[in-house]
Amino acid sequence: MASRYDRAITVFSPDGHLFQVEYAQEAVKKGSTAVGIRGTNIVVLGVEKKSVAKLQDERTVRKICALDDHVCMAFAGLTADARAVINRARVECQSHKLTVEDPVTVEYITRFIATLKQKYTQSNGRRPFGISALIVGFDDDGIPRLYQTDPSGTYHAWKANAIGRSAKTVREFLEKNYTEDAISNDNETIKLAIRALLEVVQSGGKNIDLAIIRRNQPLKMFSAKEIELQVTEIEKEKEEAEKKKSKK
Amino acid sequence: MNSGVWEEVGCTKLWNEWCRTADTVHLSPADAFCVFYQLKSDPSVLLCQCSCFVAEDQQYQWLEKVFGSRPRKTTKITVLTCRHVTEYKTSESVGSLPSPFLKALKTQHFRDPVCCSLLEQPNIAHGLPAAVLSYCQVWKIPAVLYLCYTDVMKLDLITVEAFKPVLSCSSLKSLAKNIPQSTDILKKLMTAEGTQSNIYT
Repeated sequence: MASRYDRAITVFSPDGHLFQVEYAQEAVKKGSTAVGIRGTNIVVLGVEKKSVAKLQDERTVRKICALDDHVCMAFAGLTADARAVINRARVECQSHKLTVEDPVTVEYITRFIATLKQKYTQSNGRRPFGISALIVGFDDDGIPRLYQTDPSGTYHAWKANAIGRSAKTVREFLEKNYTEDAISNDNETIKLAIRALLEVVQSGGKNIDLAIIRRNQPLKMFSAKEIELQVTEIEKEKEEAEKKKSKK
Repeated sequence: MNSGVWEEVGCTKLWNEWCRTADTVHLSPADAFCVFYQLKSDPSVLLCQCSCFVAEDQQYQWLEKVFGSRPRKTTKITVLTCRHVTEYKTSESVGSLPSPFLKALKTQHFRDPVCCSLLEQPNIAHGLPAAVLSYCQVWKIPAVLYLCYTDVMKLDLITVEAFKPVLSCSSLKSLAKNIPQSTDILKKLMTAEGTQSNIYT
């Protein structure tokens, strides 16, 4: 049944599905995992690094990109589609600043990206963007924000979310472990993001990329060493927790 | 298979239009072989690794050659295969399925318990695994097919680990070793494959 209604993007199936949009969501699952967490004073984006070929320059394979000084995003899905969306969003950020003399709010740029994606689900001869994005940042009012968009053009605010491969596992981990205590402290929020990724990342800390934005500070990308330090701390804490359990 | 535990005892060579070579005489193992291995510690255990496509019109002859004209009912057959999760027909949306997951299909004479739920209608098995199962049903041989529905096109660690419950079923229990390093060993085998495409990030 599906095959008669999945060729053209502008055709609904009898039971109300837009199959091309749903297939685009499958493309998102082929990308590696990205997790976003909104803390009290910090927002964290963690991604599973794709393994690069030997002769490939690692710096050109990036899942986390800055859209402006105070907003950044991580994506999962088709690389080329992400590049197109990021370029449009960056131009929009600067255009907004020049026109209105204010930087964009996180919600504004998320809405822009979501509207762009929705246009491509309602246009003849085009296919939807095969990416989901996690957009984080601080607004002028100092409130941290985390939004998620998907290929259908919907966007929602989240306290913590994951996209890409194994997103379900990571989301379940976050649902269990996202507590007010866990996010009250900046360092704990960072650790929560890393712990969530370690649930699904196959080779540990060296395959994780991390970016944070603190209130009134620019985007900071963690170096491999800094991530290793955090991972070592997490493993120590795990061991201590296990020792305590076995003592009991 | 080159761990020293298995010994290669035979192979079937076949050519069809799916083979990557037009040379029908000098076929390399990668092209058109099904290789048979025998467990050194227990010669009654045979393993067939089929990495080529066996066309529908070749399947019966393949089965006859492998099982012989009158197959023994004392053999127990276990078939392992994979399919993409989008080919799994269900009323739920594909996105909500916990892939990879295992489904089983067995012949009438297979009495042992299976380690996962049975394949529901209207899903069917395809290709050589289906042919083997049909053959076993006709000749009253106990056989079970474990079908893993996965969301990746190339085999990866998570899909291979989905097969682990199969090692706990009675026919294979004696072969399975509970090694804690099994995940690490699997990781090494899997990363040897892993050239990445740059389409998805």
